[in-house]
Amino acid sequence: MTRPADAAGASYAGGIAMTGVTVRYRGTVALDAFCLEVAAGSIMALIGPSGCGKTTALRAVAGFVRPDAGRIAIAGRDVTGLPPAARDIGMVVQSYALFPHMSVVENVAFGLRARGQPGPAVRARVAECLALVGMDGFADRLPRQLSGGQQQRVAIARALAIRPQVLLLDEPLSALDAPIRRAMLDELAALHRDLPGLTVLYVTHDQGEALTLASRIAILCGGRKLAEGPSQALYRRPPNRFAAEFLGQANLLEVAVEGRVLGGMATVRLGDTRLKVPDADIAGARALLCLRPHDITLADASAACSAACNLLPAELRMVHWQGERHLLELCVAGQTLRVSLPPLRMPPAPGTSLALRFAPDDATLLPHEPG
Amino acid sequence: MSAARLVWLPPLAISAVLVLYPLALVLATPLAAPGGFAVLGSSLFLGALVRTVWIALCSTAGCLVLGFTLAVLIGFVPFRGAALAARLVDSIIALPTFLVALAFTFVYGAAGLLNGTLLALSEAGPHALPPVDFLYSQWGVVLAEVTVYTPFVLRPLLAAFAQLEPAQIEIAGSLGARPWRIVRRIVLPAALPALLAGGSLCLLLTVNEFGIVFFIGAKGVITLPLLVYDKAIQEFDYPAACAIAGVNLALSLALFATYRALLRIGTRGSGGRG
Amino acid sequence: MLLWSAAARSTAWTVLGLLLLLVYGVPLGLILLASLTGQWNGVLPSHMTLSHLAGTLRAEPAAQLRASVLTGLAASLAALAFGTWAALALRRVRGGARRWLELVFFLPSALPSISVGLGLLVAFSRPPLLLNGTVWIVLAAHFVMVSAFAYGMVAAGLAQLPAELEQIAESLGAGPLYRLRRITLPLLAPQLLAAFSLGFALSMGELGATVMVYPPSWVTLPVGIFGLSDRGAVFDAAALTVLLAAGTVAVLAGAARLQRLAGGK
Ligand SMILES: Nc1ncnc2c1ncn2[C@@H]1O[C@H](COP(=O)(O)OP(=O)(O)OP(=O)(O)O)[C@@H](O)[C@H]1O
Ligand SMILES: [Mg+2]
Repeated sequence: MTRPADAAGASYAGGIAMTGVTVRYRGTVALDAFCLEVAAGSIMALIGPSGCGKTTALRAVAGFVRPDAGRIAIAGRDVTGLPPAARDIGMVVQSYALFPHMSVVENVAFGLRARGQPGPAVRARVAECLALVGMDGFADRLPRQLSGGQQQRVAIARALAIRPQVLLLDEPLSALDAPIRRAMLDELAALHRDLPGLTVLYVTHDQGEALTLASRIAILCGGRKLAEGPSQALYRRPPNRFAAEFLGQANLLEVAVEGRVLGGMATVRLGDTRLKVPDADIAGARALLCLRPHDITLADASAACSAACNLLPAELRMVHWQGERHLLELCVAGQTLRVSLPPLRMPPAPGTSLALRFAPDDATLLPHEPG
Repeated sequence: MSAARLVWLPPLAISAVLVLYPLALVLATPLAAPGGFAVLGSSLFLGALVRTVWIALCSTAGCLVLGFTLAVLIGFVPFRGAALAARLVDSIIALPTFLVALAFTFVYGAAGLLNGTLLALSEAGPHALPPVDFLYSQWGVVLAEVTVYTPFVLRPLLAAFAQLEPAQIEIAGSLGARPWRIVRRIVLPAALPALLAGGSLCLLLTVNEFGIVFFIGAKGVITLPLLVYDKAIQEFDYPAACAIAGVNLALSLALFATYRALLRIGTRGSGGRG
Repeated sequence: MLLWSAAARSTAWTVLGLLLLLVYGVPLGLILLASLTGQWNGVLPSHMTLSHLAGTLRAEPAAQLRASVLTGLAASLAALAFGTWAALALRRVRGGARRWLELVFFLPSALPSISVGLGLLVAFSRPPLLLNGTVWIVLAAHFVMVSAFAYGMVAAGLAQLPAELEQIAESLGAGPLYRLRRITLPLLAPQLLAAFSLGFALSMGELGATVMVYPPSWVTLPVGIFGLSDRGAVFDAAALTVLLAAGTVAVLAGAARLQRLAGGK
């Protein structure tokens, strides 16, 4: 799909800075001294389990809830006390909240008309925004005559029409079916390529969406930020147990830290096996070893352990076939380990003893926390 | 900003002038007049009070029985036109109440359908059938009020039945429960909040009813509203009228409070189930 | 479905049909018949006439009809404005104050019409506001009697509007009045129309408060009908009642139809 370059693309240039933002609803603390920096022109995903305060954080940036403490700045300007309309934001909510009595055109034009822009300018901008989201053929439809995905595009066009510096998206895909969701995710990525200056704060509870779309991810739990970082780094090197488990699947094995070796590596013991893994700043002798299921492979039983890999003896418990993958459930020193492999021609039978192999660099040591 | 905060003041001012101030005066007038409350000891007043409550209770009981019967038949024995029948009964709510009282004159009145039929039968047959004059007793008022106020029970009941999952009744039926048992064990409990709320609303409206009693105009059937009218308009005895109106108001407000409380319980109950 | 056998079902329908006929069909049918009756001495009228219905066009009933329609329009429009304002204003009020205000706005629906009339009569027969004997006291009585319904219907409609719509509009730069005009009121249109038509219908049939306060110069239709019935002119009373009921039902049906057309459903 070709898209017209947005004439005002250059004017999108505002990052978001939240510092120490606290929001309470009658006793419950929905957001607890929350800090977040979103660089201008980047996409930040805010993820976390239901009720952790994602929507609250977004609504605080939009100005729909007043923080009890903390400051919020957009494009370097303190907007903490400003009403939503003065914040230069566009917002898309889960239900889209299209105005049901207005056509697509009227919905998109709403913000421009409310700001008293002249008719010809409004028409031109509306056409531009509808083209941007690929909805130019639906101008005169009413929202109820549109599919979920189409409604979502109109909601985005409506938010973008006023040329906001910041686009706030609250679970925009959660009301859509899985296939449409994947297509819309691509569309959103394409949209951001067309509007490179637009800062996007994207709330979702779907880690897949976050990893696909965002350059950085922040993980929220119970109103607090538990982890934040560039998407890949956060996935490869989660800083704690919650981040490891929430962002993708992870095996977390309890290990004993035996000692540090040169080159930033540490030796840990899992049962009777010694493993080399990247060292991390861990207090105490116990730690969690984080291993992604797809970073582990089967080794020949006869293979010797070279310096570049770790070997782990395990007993196979169960084999699940998932079409494009085989999922193996194994027992290692009394702990459960999941391994995801490309389809096996002849899967081993449960009860077989196997040797597993993983590269030291694919493992991460985490502070020990009981699960 | 502070002007926006006080935006509720104009409607409150209007209510204060047109509702609260007149009500306060009604309560205050007998206080100011010497012996203003004497009328409350009269047998006329006490009789009217007892009759008002009795008529209201009988009418409400009638509304509950008729409303429940109609609702079960309309709601659970589907037929074409059920919705239309419900809408027609519903539109009675918007019609003046005296319409039914006037109509009853032609059904049960001295020269109406019923007595005309009785007279014709008496003339034709061997037995003389005495004319029926129940319209001019309190039962005429009760029947008219049942007719007028049943929709106030029927409407919430039909709404409650619409919430009831049809599968519940079908499964109960498939387990061998007889219809009467299904009504008693499944339908009635589901209908209870609506019955309570609708019943207390009927009680309130029948205690306040004026048009029906006024139009039927039976000699002995004097209720509180009618007594207020007589004292004020026929006798110009405003302190007495206000004293009686005060009692009527107290009764109405107590019923109103009950109705609101039941409504709240009802919505909470159904919210919990759903 | 409660009854499965065809016999039981047809019994149930027969019972329902008989009940509806007896309780509603017969009285409504007979008042219609009475409005067409010339003489009624036996079981049924002995001859029919259109003269009673034609009589509703005479000067006196026509003036009463005019008074009722004008009163109904003025009272229900005023109640609509009041109820809408009150319901919108209450959204900004929280806590105990809100409960008290709700109670005040709902209160008239709990009051006996006679007491409302008596209160207005007592309150406005003395300074500072002397309204007794004028049209205004009738208008005030009708306004009070329908205001709670208007408030209740608009408040119920508002409660159903998703809060997000207005918030999004606000974030797009719409001020309070612009939001009210472009979002809130258009979305409330069905409730506003229903509140207006029900208010009009109730006002057209109002009797209790009116008989307490009406001046001889402003006799409404229900008061006029009572006068006829009291004088024994029951067939004329029936004709006027039929006219009143037909008008009321027509207004309600018209409003419902308008709503369906506007809703496109
Ligand atoms: N208006 C409100 N009044 C009271 N409590 C609220 C309100 N809105 C949210 N909360 C509470 O604040 C907490 C955070 O809510 P929030 O809506 O931000 O969660 P969320 O992360 O968006 O969840 P979800 O993924 O389910 O949308 C929750 O515990 C919620 O119950
Ligand atoms: Mg949320």
